[in-house]
Amino acid sequence: MLLQEKYPEEIKGILARFPHKKSAVLPLMHLAQEAYGFTSREAMQEVAQILDLDPTHVLSLAGFYTLYYEEPVGKFVLEVCNDLACALRGADEFVQMASRKLDIPVDGTTNDGLFTLKTVMCLAACDRAPMLQCNLKFEEHLDEAKFDALISRLRAEAAAEKAEPSIVEQISAFAK
Amino acid sequence: MSDQVNLTIDGVELSVPNGTLVVDAAKMIENPIPVFCYHPKMAPVGMCRMCLVEIGLPVRDRNSGEPVLNDDGTPQVSFRGLQTACTVQVSEGMVVRTTTEVVTKAREDVIEFLLTSHPLDCPICDKGGECPLQNLTMEHGKGTSRMDYSLKMKLDKHVPLGELIYLDRERCIQCGRCVRFQEEIVDDPVIRFHNRGRSLEIVTMSDPGFDSYWSGNTTDICPVGALTTADFRFGARPWELTPVATLSPHCPSGANMTFSTRREAKSGGRSVIKRIMPRQNEPVNEIWISDRDRFVHHFADAPDRLKKPLMRKNGQLVEVEWGEALDAVAGKLQQSGTAVAGLSGDRVSNEDMFLFQKLFRQGLKSHNIDLANRRLAGGDVVAKVGISQGSNLLNLGQGDAIVVIASDLHEEVPVWWLRVKQAAQRGAELVILNLRPTRLDECSRNVIHYQPGQAIATLRQLVNDAKVAAADADNSPIKAAADVIMQANNVVAFYGAEGLTYAETDAVARLLANLLLIKNEEAYAGRPNNGLIPVWPHNNTQGAWDMGIHPALEPGYKPAAKPGMRANEVYAAAQTGALKALFLLAADPIGDGLMAGRGQLDFLVVQELFLTETAAQADVVLPAQSWAEREGTFTSGERRVQRYYPAIQPVGEARPDWQILAQIGERVGLEKPAFAASLVFRDLAKAVPQYKGMDYRALARVEKQWPDVGGDDLYYGGNAYENRVGLGMQWPAAAESGAVDHFEVADVDSELPGKVVVVRTAALFTPGTLINHTELLQARMAQPTLIIQAADAAKLQLAQGEKVMVEVAGRGVETAVRLSEDTPEGVALLRGVPYQAGLTELKVMG
Amino acid sequence: MIGELIKGMATTLKHMFRDPVTIQYPDIKRPPRTRFKGRHELKRYDNGLERCIGCSLCAAACPADAIFVEASENTDEQRFSPGERYASTYEINMLRCIFCGYCEDACPTQAIVLENKYELSFYDRASAIYTKEMLIVDVPVNGNPTPQAVEPGTFDKPIPDMEDPR
Repeated sequence: MLLQEKYPEEIKGILARFPHKKSAVLPLMHLAQEAYGFTSREAMQEVAQILDLDPTHVLSLAGFYTLYYEEPVGKFVLEVCNDLACALRGADEFVQMASRKLDIPVDGTTNDGLFTLKTVMCLAACDRAPMLQCNLKFEEHLDEAKFDALISRLRAEAAAEKAEPSIVEQISAFAK
Repeated sequence: MSDQVNLTIDGVELSVPNGTLVVDAAKMIENPIPVFCYHPKMAPVGMCRMCLVEIGLPVRDRNSGEPVLNDDGTPQVSFRGLQTACTVQVSEGMVVRTTTEVVTKAREDVIEFLLTSHPLDCPICDKGGECPLQNLTMEHGKGTSRMDYSLKMKLDKHVPLGELIYLDRERCIQCGRCVRFQEEIVDDPVIRFHNRGRSLEIVTMSDPGFDSYWSGNTTDICPVGALTTADFRFGARPWELTPVATLSPHCPSGANMTFSTRREAKSGGRSVIKRIMPRQNEPVNEIWISDRDRFVHHFADAPDRLKKPLMRKNGQLVEVEWGEALDAVAGKLQQSGTAVAGLSGDRVSNEDMFLFQKLFRQGLKSHNIDLANRRLAGGDVVAKVGISQGSNLLNLGQGDAIVVIASDLHEEVPVWWLRVKQAAQRGAELVILNLRPTRLDECSRNVIHYQPGQAIATLRQLVNDAKVAAADADNSPIKAAADVIMQANNVVAFYGAEGLTYAETDAVARLLANLLLIKNEEAYAGRPNNGLIPVWPHNNTQGAWDMGIHPALEPGYKPAAKPGMRANEVYAAAQTGALKALFLLAADPIGDGLMAGRGQLDFLVVQELFLTETAAQADVVLPAQSWAEREGTFTSGERRVQRYYPAIQPVGEARPDWQILAQIGERVGLEKPAFAASLVFRDLAKAVPQYKGMDYRALARVEKQWPDVGGDDLYYGGNAYENRVGLGMQWPAAAESGAVDHFEVADVDSELPGKVVVVRTAALFTPGTLINHTELLQARMAQPTLIIQAADAAKLQLAQGEKVMVEVAGRGVETAVRLSEDTPEGVALLRGVPYQAGLTELKVMG
Repeated sequence: MIGELIKGMATTLKHMFRDPVTIQYPDIKRPPRTRFKGRHELKRYDNGLERCIGCSLCAAACPADAIFVEASENTDEQRFSPGERYASTYEINMLRCIFCGYCEDACPTQAIVLENKYELSFYDRASAIYTKEMLIVDVPVNGNPTPQAVEPGTFDKPIPDMEDPR
């Protein structure tokens, strides 16, 4: 019941925007993701309960859209595109390198909770491959040096507590 | 536009109804187009691409709209590449080509593509041998693959979707049949797709997992071995199984099923029922069965089945030979004169019931014969205005009306719930009368929730309103419902016993009959797709009425000259000593709380499968064969007489019920027993006029059904079995052959017994003699629950989740309290407890 | 005519000094030929696990209906074969078997092999039915008897790969 405790007004506002309750499912899931940190089972149960849906329906949506995270993610989510065009420009090697540098497997999160590495389908930047999306921002024309620089910058930002909000907060702000 | 459309498929000209899909049209001329995701019972989605064919349309002149002709006078046809035959409807002049090189190549490629992530573990796959993917690969596949075997996806092979169904993620070809079945057909969308592309998988989040009464059907329509039942996992290879036709042992819909049996070394060479699958009977259950029916067979081989006759000697039940037991029963029954009674359960066959009443009426000159557990009256009314011959709930739709009163079809007869719900989706209007919300309410615009005790008054009001013309009445919901009924082309009425006493159900049946008879000359009753359907508590309650298991009605509804004692009078007489001997056929009144004990009875004989509470107190216990071991007939609530067949060898020395009864009959002076059930049925058909013209051969007749299911074309309709041994025969209601008078309805007293009344509600998975032996279903059994409004609960000082002792049928049952605002005020719903009639006072004990 | 007679006698005489073709069975046994098809054996892997996965394809292929298989599911605590299932009952009726070898062809794991044993005689029909215990070979030297308890996840293939598929 975390969601209803944290955001009673927001829920009302979202529900009011749609003629059918069911339509509110995606914004509510963003809200739930913010409340719970990720779309946990409880979060999905709660959304289903609010909207009178079968929980399986909510789970299925969380699985379909890539910006709902069913596992806890780090503050920075690095999503590397390894679709065909990027792969031809060395995205796979880039992912391996990133995985080695961060010492996490793909879909893993670093122990300090800062970075999550993922691979994704096309981000529409084929001409600037290899590239990744870091918390909704594109980093393009990457190589090992640029990746190192990016990681150090992000670590420094996090250490200085100047960093932008976490990916989950950003997504949900965007959704609002 | 005419209703028929002409098209050509591979040079064959045919004419099919407008709106037919190309894939179905091809099936009709037995030129099948292979499919994986398409299913004739569901809307097409075109996901698997297996049905790609070349479809051409006649070229029309842009200005005149006239067909353009070739030089030789034939219409010019333009082909526009490959299209999915499952999503394209036929149109006039369409030309379909399914044998061209392009089509063959497309099929090869689709198969090759599907197999890139399919594990090829056919040797250990439960579907191997009856697998559409396997068959179509053999038929249309190329035999080679460009895919490197080592690059195949490696996924979980044993994912439980609940305890009944397992998912093998590797085998899934993502056709979505299961997901669509759950959403479209049974409206339980508890499984869905998760993720995308090659990571797509089927998931469930319900509690318990895959929470649906229909989950087993997804394994039938799964075109691969991705979904399998926990019950049949590695049980046998499909080609080793012998199919034996049978019927549901619970369901008054008469659902057709098939046992798959195999002889097993583990069982000492006995045939064992390995699984139950649906058998197609479109007017009855189409190709679906509920999970209760699918997993019921475990009782047949239960170790505690009775194997030899038992007789009480020196206070102990000891095994004796048949001759001794039968002599004792016949002797004692005769000695008791007319102080004998026979009570029957309603799950035995027509043959058994016929001989049972014959033993008492002719052998012992007693009319003390009744059903042991009478719940629902009105069999005599159904005989007059029951649903007519040739009816099929599939035919109901736009412009028709279905009335459901005092029944929760979803829990009581899921097959009827499904068919009524689908009729509503096709446009039929539902009129629902009950004292509480039920699952069917969501499909209806005419839901009337009457006050407790007001069932008869409400229905009476409805019938009276229906007699008045639409214009000059107020717009009360009851009047609106009455108008809906009177404006309908066809009306089918279901009635149940929820919260009603036996006498009240009789009044309900009569009132509904009068409703069906209102338009005298053009009454609904008597026309196809019209009439009354009782929601009987058991599979053969209808047969019990037909066979004269009734103190006042002989076989064929002939009034008895001198009515005998009713069941409740029998139970009372047993306590006072007015009754000397009691014969119970497949009934456990002590266990059901109907009879306090054996009381003053001189002699109690029980004929049963198991040593029930009543049997344990009997003087003689006769072991009967279960329905899996013998043949016989059941009559469904739609009065369809259907046969079932022996599947396994008898357990121990158990005999068929009819044979035991005939052998006792012989000892009390009736004729020598017939040597086959078919001969008993022949006698029965002579004695019951409604069964005229029926015999075992006629009941075994089949005709071609649509859609094609079973046979070699497993990919099309799924793995349900084709019906090869009998669709059964419906017997005609009196209204079909002549006018029927309106019924007199007695005034039924409907006083409320207390401030908060208890209504016992049905649950599909309720513990019972048969289903208790299925371990797999035990976790899903309805637990005793008291469902009550928060306000009422506060008055009674009950809290959510609290465990209280509630009196049910004279005994204390521990129930958990659940608060629900759906429950009407002043009503407590009691779920998962033994049956009790009518409304009772809520008595919380201790 | 005399000439032919002498020729014949000469042949007889010649063979009197050769080794006889007949052997003193059962004291002496002739080695079977390489392609000889004798009594079946159910094979094991080197670690002692049974090759048979209980798929019943041998029974399906058998033209004489001589084979009967019942399968059960392996668990990591009680593992008989590396696959998902194993044969809990495996019987061959040797009176029915015609030694055609179709079962070998059908077997996806090369579990059943027609080996060299040919001494098949029985005093009654029941003893002509060879059970799994009679058919299965001894545990290899470095292997363990079945059932074995193994680490979860050691065997994750539904059907083990065939070594050296012919």
